[in-house]
This record gives sequence, C-alpha cells and structure tokens, in this order.
Amino acid sequence: MIKEFIQGLLITLKYLGPGHTTTVQYPRKGHRLQPSDRFRGLHRLVPDHDREKCVACYLCPTVCPAKCITVESAENEKGEKYPKVYKIDLLRCIFCGYCVEACPVEAIEMTGDYELANYHRDDFTFDKKRLVR
Amino acid sequence: MVNLTIDGKEITVSKTATIYEAAKEAGIDIPVLCYAKKLLPYGACRVCLVEVEQMKGRLIPSCTTPVTEGMVVTTMSDEIQKVRKTVLEFLLVNHVIDCPVCDKGGECDLQDLTYEYEVVTNRFEGEKFDLPTDEVNPLIERNMNRCVLCGKCVRVCDEIVGYGSYSFINRGFETKIATAFDRGLNCEFCGQCVSMCPVGAILPRPFKFKARPWQIKEVDSVCSYCGNGCTITMGVKDNKVQTIRFNDKIGVNDGNLCIRGRFGYSYANSDDRLTTPLIKKDGELVEASWDEALEAVAEGFKKAAADKGVGIISGARLTNEELFLLKNVAKAIGTENLDHSGGECYKGVTEGLVETLGVKASTGTFPQVEDADVILSIRSDFYETHPVFGMVVNQAVKRNEAQLFIVADKKGKFGKLPNAETLLHKPALEVNVLNAMAQALIEDGSAVTDGVDGLDELKKSLADYAPEKVAAATGVPAEQIKAAAKALAGANKSAILLAYGLPYTAQSKEIAVAAANLAILSGNVDKEGSNLYLCGEKANSQGAIDLGVIPAGSGQGAQQMLDAAAAGSLSALYVVGEDMVTSYPDREKVEKALDGAGFVVAQDLFLSPTAQKADVVLPAASFAEKDGTFTNAERRIQRVHPGITSPGEAKTDYAIFELLANKLGAGLSYTGPAAVFAALANEVDAYKGVEFNAIGAQGVVWGGEELKAATKKVVPVKGAAAVDGKFVLLTGSALYHSGTVSTHAKGPVAVVPEAYVEFGSEDATVLQVADGDMIKIKANGAEVQLKAKVDKRLPQGVVFAPYHFAEAGLNKLYKGEAAIAVEVSK
Ligand code: SF4
Ligand code: SF4
Ligand code: SF4
Ligand code: SF4
Ligand code: SF4
Ligand code: FES
Repeated sequence: MIKEFIQGLLITLKYLGPGHTTTVQYPRKGHRLQPSDRFRGLHRLVPDHDREKCVACYLCPTVCPAKCITVESAENEKGEKYPKVYKIDLLRCIFCGYCVEACPVEAIEMTGDYELANYHRDDFTFDKKRLVR
Repeated sequence: MVNLTIDGKEITVSKTATIYEAAKEAGIDIPVLCYAKKLLPYGACRVCLVEVEQMKGRLIPSCTTPVTEGMVVTTMSDEIQKVRKTVLEFLLVNHVIDCPVCDKGGECDLQDLTYEYEVVTNRFEGEKFDLPTDEVNPLIERNMNRCVLCGKCVRVCDEIVGYGSYSFINRGFETKIATAFDRGLNCEFCGQCVSMCPVGAILPRPFKFKARPWQIKEVDSVCSYCGNGCTITMGVKDNKVQTIRFNDKIGVNDGNLCIRGRFGYSYANSDDRLTTPLIKKDGELVEASWDEALEAVAEGFKKAAADKGVGIISGARLTNEELFLLKNVAKAIGTENLDHSGGECYKGVTEGLVETLGVKASTGTFPQVEDADVILSIRSDFYETHPVFGMVVNQAVKRNEAQLFIVADKKGKFGKLPNAETLLHKPALEVNVLNAMAQALIEDGSAVTDGVDGLDELKKSLADYAPEKVAAATGVPAEQIKAAAKALAGANKSAILLAYGLPYTAQSKEIAVAAANLAILSGNVDKEGSNLYLCGEKANSQGAIDLGVIPAGSGQGAQQMLDAAAAGSLSALYVVGEDMVTSYPDREKVEKALDGAGFVVAQDLFLSPTAQKADVVLPAASFAEKDGTFTNAERRIQRVHPGITSPGEAKTDYAIFELLANKLGAGLSYTGPAAVFAALANEVDAYKGVEFNAIGAQGVVWGGEELKAATKKVVPVKGAAAVDGKFVLLTGSALYHSGTVSTHAKGPVAVVPEAYVEFGSEDATVLQVADGDMIKIKANGAEVQLKAKVDKRLPQGVVFAPYHFAEAGLNKLYKGEAAIAVEVSK
C-alpha cells in the first residue's frame, strides 16, 4: 500500500523536474504550443493549383451560426465558379468548425494557429489573401 | 365527382383529376419530377408511384392515373419507398453531382428527393455524362449532364409556347434533349423551359453564380412592359433585381412570361439610370438639387401657363395612383392639355369602341379565351406585342382545338399553329377585310341583327365590300373571308383580339369600329364567354384610359400639343415617362415641338433623346421601385410592389408629382398609394368599391369577368386604299422588345441589339440581300440605314422594321401611316 503510494508520488515528482514540465513560459520566444490535430484555430482556405479550392457554394456562410463569413461568387475566365470575395470576421467567429463540416469540397480547414490577438478591428477581417495559405 | 380514399383519408374530387391531384387537394404530398400543373400528364420519371388496392401487384404512377370511384390509394409503404429510392439511384448513375457549383442547388427537385430518400450510396455504377454545355446564347444555359429526361422543357416549349425548340434524340442511355441539329439554342427566349426544369439542366445565364435561392428575397409585382399584366416575382439581393423567379401560384399568366418579363428586368439596375436632377445651363445639362430643379419647373410652368400654356404628355407605364396625381398636377398648373401615348393610337380605338359598344375596354378576361372555339386575331403582330396572351391562344388552339383566324399583313407565329388560317392581306387593308367579313355575314343571312342600331346605313356602306370585290383589292380569297366569317358567327364562344400601340396609329378608330361591327354581327357581343379584347401596348395603358388621362374640355391631345409647340403657340411641355423623339411617329415634328416649346421638362429613367432636349430633367423610378397598381388589358387591377430602392436621388413619379404640386401651391398630400387609390376610386366609376389593400394576388377585375356592352350600334366605316410602291414598309413591335425601355435592358438587347429591316426570302433573293447587309430606305423625304434580316414572314414587296431603337431613326420615315411606300437600295 505504502509502496504504491510512493511510486505514484515519484511520478508526480518526476514531472516537477526539468525537461518534464508541461507548463511553458508563454509568450517567451521559442515557446510555441503544439495543439492537438483536432484543435480549432484560424481558418485556412486550401489552395488548388492556381486558385483556391473553394467553389463559392455558400454553404459555410449559410451554416455559420455567428454569420461571420462573407462569400461573393463569380465566374472566372475559365467559366468556373469561384469566390471573388471570401472573408471571415474573426471577431464574430465562435470557432465552432461548422464551416469545415459543411464544405462539400474540403476547401476550408481550421489550423492550429491560435495567436490571433491584434490591435485594430480591421485586422480581424481575414480575406482571401490571408486565408489561402 | 368521385369519392376515393387516400392514406385512409376519404376525399371527393372532380372526375377529371389524377390521383396526384386528388392527393394534393387533400394535402398529401407525393413526390414528382416530370409532373407540372400546366402541362399534360406524361409519366416519365416514376417517382410518383403509389399503391392502389384495386390494382394490386404493381405500382401505379399517380400523375397519369385518373381517379375512379371507390379507389383506395396508399402513397407510402416500404415497397414504395424502396422503388422510389431505386428510381433515384438510376437517375444518379450518370448524373454529375455538381451541386456546389450548380445554381439549382437549394431548390433542385432531384437534390431534395435524394436527401429525403437518403440515397447515400448507389448500387449501380455507370459513367457520368460528359456532354458539352450549350452556352452560345447569352440568356439560357443548358447543361445536359444534369438532365433527368423529364421532358418538361420539350413539352412546355411545344404545348404552351408553341415554339418547339427541343426534342428527345437517341435511345437508351444515350437519350438526351437536343435542339434542332443539336445546335445552340436560338428561340424566343421566354424562359419557360428554365422555369420548368426540375434540376439545374436549364438555367438563366444572367443569374449565373449570382446567389443561392435562399439568399434571395422574393417580391411579387407586375411586369412593366406590355398590357398583359403578367405577375413577375423579383429575386432581390443587395438592393438589385438579380433575377425573375418562377411563380405560377398567383396572377393571370400561370407562371408564363415572355423574354421582356423574364429577362428584361435589368434596366432597373442599369448604370445609365439618371441619379440626379439636371438643369440646362448655357446649353448644357448640369446636375442640380431637387429643390433647385423643382423650383425651376414650377417657375417655368407658372410662367408658361400665364403665357401660351403648358402641355403634358405622359407614358402609360405609370401606376394608376401616379396618373391620378399627374391629373392633379395638371390642375395645379391650370392646363387641360393632358394626354398619353401619342399618335393617338389609343384615342381612335377607344372612340371607336365607345361609338359602337359603349365600352372602352376588353369585355372578357384571359381564361375565357382558352375556352373559345373560334378566335379572330387582328394583326399577326398580336403575338409580338402580347406574347403571353399569345400563349393563351396557343393553348386554346392546341389543346381545345379552337379555330384561329388571323387578319394580317404578314405571316406570323400564329399562322403556324394547327387549325390556324391567315387572311393575308396587302398592307393597310385590315378594315377592308373586316368589312368584307361583316358583309359576308349579312349576305348569307347569318348576321345577328336583333336589337342592333344603325343596320341600314351599315348595309348600304358594306355594299362596296362584297368579299369578291375585297378579295381583288386585298389579295385575300373571297372563300377564305366567307369561311372565316361563317366560323366566327357559328362559334359557341368566340374571341376577337385587337392590340394597339404607338407603331399602330393609323386607322385605329376604323379598325376598332370594324372589329366591333363584326363582333355585333357575329353574335360575339351577345354570347356568354364570347368577347372582344382590346390590348394596350403598355403595362398601364388601360389604367390611363380608365382614369381619363386624356384632354379634358378644350384641352389638346398629344398631336395637337406637338403641332402647337412646333408652331410656337404652346410655351411649355412636360414629358413624363416617354421618349417621344424615338417612339412617336414623325420625329421631325416631335423635335420641332421640343425646340419650339420655350420650356421643356422631361421625367424619365434615362437621358433619352427626348430628355436631352429638355430644360429640366427629373430622374424617375422604375416599376421595381414603385408601390401602386396597374390595370391590365382584361381590366384587372393588380398590385405593384417595390423590391429595391431608387439609385442616387431618383424618386418615384408619385413622389415627384407630390413635390411638384406642393411647389405649385396645390398642397397635394396623401398618406400613400392606398389613400390616392381611394381618392381615384371615388372619381372613376369603374373603380368604385375597390379597396387598395384588398387587391389580392389575383387582382380585381373591374366591371366583372364579363363586361356587358352598353350599346349595340354598327357604324359604317371606310376601308383604305392599297399603298402603291414597289416596296411597302411596315413598322411595329418586335417580340423581344416593348416600347423603348427594353433597349436599356441587357436581356432583350442581347438577342436583338439594334434596329433592322426584315425582308421576306423572295425579295431577299431578288435583291440579293443577305443577313447583316446595310440597306438604305428612303421615304417621305428622309433616308435611314438599317441592317437587313431575312425571314419567311413577309410577302413579296413588304419590308418590316421595329420601332424601338433611338439610333435607327425609323420615325423619320414613319409619320403615322399604316404602311409607307419606300425605296430600298443596298
Ligand atoms: S463551404 Fe467550402 S466551397 Fe462552399 S463556400 Fe465555404 S469554403 Fe467555399
Ligand atoms: S441538378 Fe440538382 S442534383 Fe444535379 S448538380 Fe444541380 S443541384 Fe445537384
Ligand atoms: S426559352 Fe421559350 S422558346 Fe426558347 S426553348 Fe425555352 S421554352 Fe422554348
Ligand atoms: S432539361 Fe430539364 S426539363 Fe428538360 S428534360 Fe432535362 S431535366 Fe427535364
Ligand atoms: S411583356 Fe407582357 S407578355 Fe411579356 S411578361 Fe411582360 S406583361 Fe407578360
Ligand atoms: S411525376 Fe409521375 S411519372 Fe413523373
């Protein structure tokens, strides 16, 4: 009984030692967290050859409960449907991931990017330029 | 009536109903793909299968099976579910699943059913269609990879439109819908096939990738083009009319539209719209504020009224309320010179009808035409001026086997219908032919003469119009005249159709009288369900007549005003919603009048050639921005609803009239269109008792479904003499345009971008004219140049040019004649 108790305590103590701690000194340089694959951070529009994969189907703006996605579809030179405008207002986004779930062509993902603080309201509007990565 | 049980519910329906229709009436949903209310049952898709106890052992298509007494129907069971799912699986074998980029997504019947029946996998495998898309024309996009072969497009274009663009070709898996020789679509572009297609195989191109159906706000209104008064449902997003949505639930048109209604909406969104008032300073129109502009207008009118007077000429696309306010503005200015649609086309027609029948409007409504067994259409252009009424005629002829006679100077689409006969006469001789028909009835004693006034004089005058004699002059065989007259008199229910408009100003009174004479003598006036239809060119032509937007007392009509202004004896002209320089007969006279009047105010959407000559231009609003009522050609008062706001500082005519009246010190103030309507209903007898807010989806027909003729008086009327000349020019309306507004709308312009002169193929061969050649046409001391177009409609020696286009200057030649002798050269 006491043996097991000590064993358990040792494990705890081990994690107090250097090299084992899970607490990081954030935001000290070099200390980046590696969130899990399922973490829902900043969106990314998946590129596809010379354009974005998104076909401007309007499902994500429709499903979005925070109404923070703006899509404007248009026809490109090849006659394809593409998002002339694609914008996410991160100040409204609740990171629910519904957009990702709704997308029929897997054109939108959520990355592990969590450093989203900024100084100006406008900086929270993520347009195509910032989203296609 | 038949009694049956559907899903345990006992119901009674008419014995012509199908199981599907019976279920629908009982509120039970059966899925369908190839069924459409207005088309004949077809039974192609098999998703509507149901079980009928009396026909055990197999499933029955509910859309084609008529109900029988005591039938017991089950609309859903495990087996039905399974079979429907299989049908869908089959459809999806070759179907490219394009939903994300398919504009039908969100309102696609196939998509909805696939979802409802949870078709998530497919037991069958096959190659996906890979057919080329048809995007040659600018209005309708066809992608046959998404087609489910329901045949609705084929059927609507044939059954309703009577055009017949499509047919099924090939067999088995190769089956597809194709146009003749599988070329790109080139047709009337009415868009009926677009609205019928249950999937995304036929789509409106101007709306391509614009929005999803659920993002669109639907606003029901009335088409602003012709007097048919079709309901159009605007699809509005971002304060723009993005498209016209299919709507067969309300209105008079059963969801049918013509190219103008379906694709002609875009003038409301045009960048060329006027957005601020303009005032002429040093010969230039410069932007001004409303206050400045209205001040200038009020000042100018006051001065002119004190001098030689003001003339007001209005278009017929203003709402009833606006026309009423305009009358009040006229009163405030102190002028009786008030008129609409010059050339006096409407004036002659109404005078003629009043003299004979004592009415100023159609006596019946559209649905009655569908039941008619004989129809007489005066002028083949009727289909061109009122296409959707034309579709009603198509159905009467094709479905109900009505006999159709067309008195016309050219062969038209009507003439191609089965059971149709064209009484093809030399230009300008309509009255002669109508007189000969009347004479034929009198000769063979079948004329109705009971209670008819003026018979003796008529008989005397008709002696000159024996069918044989008229045959020699007009080129219509005497036998044909007699046969047509006989058929008309022998009909149980007949319909006589007469259209009028700016390009048909000559002999309008004569034609109306001759038509009314014939209506009286053939018994059309007396028989129930038989009617005479008077169809105005513009959306509210009938309203303008009802409200009396005509010269009162000693006031001058449009032509007199123009003459007076040209002669310097009228000091000001107020032109509202009409581009007279382009559309009135005799451009020279109109221009002289605009130059001669010291002060001209134009109120319009665009800086038209007329507006360019004005001293003050007031930017007005399109129908899409207005609230009010239009009265259509069957006397139906219908509500117009605003879908968007006006661009810039443009205001509705309603608002402008109110402001102007106040500037003139008349203190015109109403709480809104409803109040104005109440005021006008007080003054106009026919509108008494109609309540603005009670005007429902079907409108209100003033005078009732059938308007009784007040008098039955036949009046002698003289025919015309044939026009001499190697070539005779006719002007008129082209199917794709209406008035001048449609030349600002992308859809109609995409199909017919500019004026043309049409030749019959015989003349074209002789003259060696081909499509696109530049042709010089000389007459009345003027010459115009137009592109040639060759078709098969015109008899030898007759050429035709539409009147809609400003640049063409057709009215330099056309001075109001029925037909013009012209010189034609390359
Ligand atoms: S759901 Fe996907 S394809 Fe559709 S608009 Fe959003 S990102 Fe684009
Ligand atoms: S037709 Fe219907 S099912 Fe086919 S791609 Fe378009 S929306 Fe999807
Ligand atoms: S647009 Fe009208 S005329 Fe043309 S194919 Fe379709 S239904 Fe026929
Ligand atoms: S194109 Fe459309 S309407 Fe025509 S058969 Fe195919 S699915 Fe039916
Ligand atoms: S122009 Fe006339 S026929 Fe065509 S849609 Fe409009 S109201 Fe109907
Ligand atoms: S809807 Fe009945 S067979 Fe198509």
